[in-house]
Amino acid sequence: MSTVTQADQAAPGSVPASGLTARPGLGDRGFRWLALGSGLLVLVILVLIAVSTTQQAASWFTTEGWGIFGTVWDPTANKFGATPFIYGTAVTGVIALVMAVPVSIGIALLLTEVVPFRIARPIVYVVDLLAVVPSVVWGLWGILVFAPWIAKIYADIGSAVTGIPVLDSLFGPPTSGASFFTAGIILAFMITPIVTSLSREVIATVPAVDREGAYALGATRLEMIRGVVWPHSQGGVVGAVLLGLGRAMGETIAAALVIGSSPTITSHLFSTGYNMPAVIANQFGEATGVFRSALLGLGVLLFAFTIIVNVIARAIVDRSARRSRGT
Amino acid sequence: MAGAALTAMALSLAACSSSSTSSGGGSSSSLSGTLNASGSTFQLPFQQAAIQAFKSVQSGMTVNYGGGGSGKGRSDLAAGVVQFAGSDSPIPSDEVSSFKGKTVLYFPVMLGPITMSYNLSGVSSLKLDLPTIANIFQGKIKTWNDPAIKALNSGVNLPSTPISLAVRSDSSGTTANFSLALTLGAASAWKLGTSSTISWPSSAHGGNGNGGVAQIVKSTPGAIGYVDYADAKAAGLTFASVKNQTGNYIAPSPSSASAAGSTVTLKPDLTFAAAWSSNPQAYPITYQSWDLVFQKQSSANTAKMLKAYIGYLLGDGQKLITPLGYAPLPANILSKAKAQLSKIGS
Amino acid sequence: MAAVTERGAPELQEPAGWRRTKNRIATILMWLSFVVVIIPLVFVLYTVIAKGISIISWQFLTSPIPPSVLPADAGGVGPAVLGTLEITALATVIAVPLGILGAVYLNEYGGGNWLSRFIGFMADVMTGVPSIIMGLFIFSIWVLRFGFSGLAGAFALGALMLPIVIRSTDEMLKLVPNTLREGSYALGASKSRVTLTVVLPAGAGGIVSGALLAVARAAGETAPLLFTILGGLSTANPNPFSGANIALPMLIFQNASSPYPGAQARGWGSALTLIAIAFILMITARFVTARYARYQC
Repeated sequence: MSTVTQADQAAPGSVPASGLTARPGLGDRGFRWLALGSGLLVLVILVLIAVSTTQQAASWFTTEGWGIFGTVWDPTANKFGATPFIYGTAVTGVIALVMAVPVSIGIALLLTEVVPFRIARPIVYVVDLLAVVPSVVWGLWGILVFAPWIAKIYADIGSAVTGIPVLDSLFGPPTSGASFFTAGIILAFMITPIVTSLSREVIATVPAVDREGAYALGATRLEMIRGVVWPHSQGGVVGAVLLGLGRAMGETIAAALVIGSSPTITSHLFSTGYNMPAVIANQFGEATGVFRSALLGLGVLLFAFTIIVNVIARAIVDRSARRSRGT
Repeated sequence: MAGAALTAMALSLAACSSSSTSSGGGSSSSLSGTLNASGSTFQLPFQQAAIQAFKSVQSGMTVNYGGGGSGKGRSDLAAGVVQFAGSDSPIPSDEVSSFKGKTVLYFPVMLGPITMSYNLSGVSSLKLDLPTIANIFQGKIKTWNDPAIKALNSGVNLPSTPISLAVRSDSSGTTANFSLALTLGAASAWKLGTSSTISWPSSAHGGNGNGGVAQIVKSTPGAIGYVDYADAKAAGLTFASVKNQTGNYIAPSPSSASAAGSTVTLKPDLTFAAAWSSNPQAYPITYQSWDLVFQKQSSANTAKMLKAYIGYLLGDGQKLITPLGYAPLPANILSKAKAQLSKIGS
Repeated sequence: MAAVTERGAPELQEPAGWRRTKNRIATILMWLSFVVVIIPLVFVLYTVIAKGISIISWQFLTSPIPPSVLPADAGGVGPAVLGTLEITALATVIAVPLGILGAVYLNEYGGGNWLSRFIGFMADVMTGVPSIIMGLFIFSIWVLRFGFSGLAGAFALGALMLPIVIRSTDEMLKLVPNTLREGSYALGASKSRVTLTVVLPAGAGGIVSGALLAVARAAGETAPLLFTILGGLSTANPNPFSGANIALPMLIFQNASSPYPGAQARGWGSALTLIAIAFILMITARFVTARYARYQC
């Protein structure tokens, strides 16, 4: 941090010219354009992706029309309905968030509020380790080790809740190791590091003054977190969660390996399913013609889906931020 | 047993380095450059072995075969980013336009059986026919002691274990040719069509690649899956003998696959289907793979490199095939393929 | 937490029963979150180490890639190690500076105008693009014209990293207090100078964190590489700008579901190598940042 000292003050009459002139220098303007250019690059790339993917997906849209939202995906019969995959992406995304967000925020709070610095360092490294496991390794471990193990647990739960109204339709049979729920769990493991790390950075910037003030008033740690930390950092934490959600929805290889590869729309979370990135990964290698267009069209739909989700999330954040700031 | 085959493989790879003749013309001129290729993963072990051995024939050439699936190979070739593509099926009609009218030459390179691998303790030999297989894989036959299976296997004690299906979760040429065999040999029973992506019953377990299906069969009692022979052998699986067109029950092996290839109807462009062959010794679920090349190359050097490498695959390279668990081409197909080499020009 | 005054009145001692219990429960839950995360990590690492450690050796890390059928002691994964290092480094060099600059625009220059909010929103959307679509995109705009290369792979990975870097840097810059900036302006510094010498260093810890997460993700991605670098190599390609290449994630993916034990062993050995490389990177960067970053006071 730069410290402002009295010695830095120039002698009267010799005001440094650069900062106080009306026009910024050439280097300064160049930097501004560089920054603007980088920002615009994001837009350019996205527009290019959207345009080129939509172009290649065009024949699917024109052949199927509104049938693109059909519920049957059968390449042999030339039926390409996207709904099973939209459903799967939504379901696995929600499961991943429900599991990852509390855990990530919990760890972030642990690191910033509870644990002394010496112990915080190793905990941070452990969370980093979670981040460096490549997605393909998560997928392989998921299908070779995790899925067979959890298949028995699913079967037990499934038979236990058979007949009970809501629980049966969520957790009842048919169950399978490779399923929506397994994919959601693996995705949760994968997005935890990013949500934790960013949340921690955000929470760490809460001014110590505010924290100490709350403690001085006799608040418990929990009360301090709710009253001071949360209002200050909720915007940033939601930003971190959105990044995690983005990753969960776009994760390809791990999902392709553990989701079960069955395009069905079912409320049974323990049954095999499919989602958009997984089907593109699995079926692209042999797809031609309208089939290939359909797969790329799923990419376009995922775009649209991500935009909608982000709009809703941002709206929620803005509204609660305004409320807590009292504007 | 697998270890002995692999040692033989390693020795033959080393030995091949000393042989210097390659068919399709003398290799006295040394070429340099890179050939990129992608496509069928069925060919991948063969291509890897051939690339390694070919280095001793043409040390200045680099060949990269990236796999990725027959469809990807064909579309990479059409886009011009690879010089040849491996494909387990001929170019389908809806893809033809992407080749912009340029002539594509098909060079068959190998054959292979698709096994019906199963996991049933106490049952070391099993006989199946295509209609029964069709019904198993459509979920109509659900247990191992079903009358249809019993009828083919008198004297074998079949348990009442439920059948678990192991299928491919990714699209593949193996699936395409398996379904082709069923369409040809069990036309009335098989309703799911011929395609690299089949809508299997939802209870089926999907695995990634032949290796993935092999893993599922190996670890699931009562499972049956379609796995290409080389992968099934490497994984130590047991497989069934299947009834062919003449009524014989044939076990999958390199020789029964070559037998299937010897009686095919070879079209002028060298495409054919080895499935459901009429040869009495043929294994009915056999498939094939081609390397696709544009007849007219953009550079003379590329044309020479392609002739050299594909010539190698059709020549000494065929010796590498059987130890890997595939079937080399029968003589009639091989000679026509070699004759076609001269057509690659610029 | 308890402040006992001279007069000895206990009114500021430990809070009453239910509040204290809630607090304890909250603390336990936080520790539980950490435990929940350790368990799968331990299992994954155990699997990778158990299957991969026996093959690791200098020869493994540097030898050319043999055909899949050959046993574990033949050859190694040298080309893939080099490929991963080259391509990830290139992607980082492309994406991290651009990402930081982009976030700088959003925060320092954009001033909340519609463009910067739109760009920020679009960066969020971009994090949801499936990695396979990124690969297909770079294939259609670059590979079709210039062929397969490590550079194409770096573009695809960089495009995956860019929104993460922008978003995380943006969040950090937002939290740098304005007093820092105002103090620097008051000293007569230009905007670029303020940003480069005051704001960015103040947020350095978080910025580096975000960049590291992006790099770790890029190093482990398979799908974008499948369409941009071709793979299939047996000898290393030291030139990332031209010619097909190969990387560890691709090798892991191809080999781990192969039935040949040699290929499987190489696949798991590659997984262990990749995790080790990425982890060393992260620890080094965290260490360096901890020493040089300036924290809030």
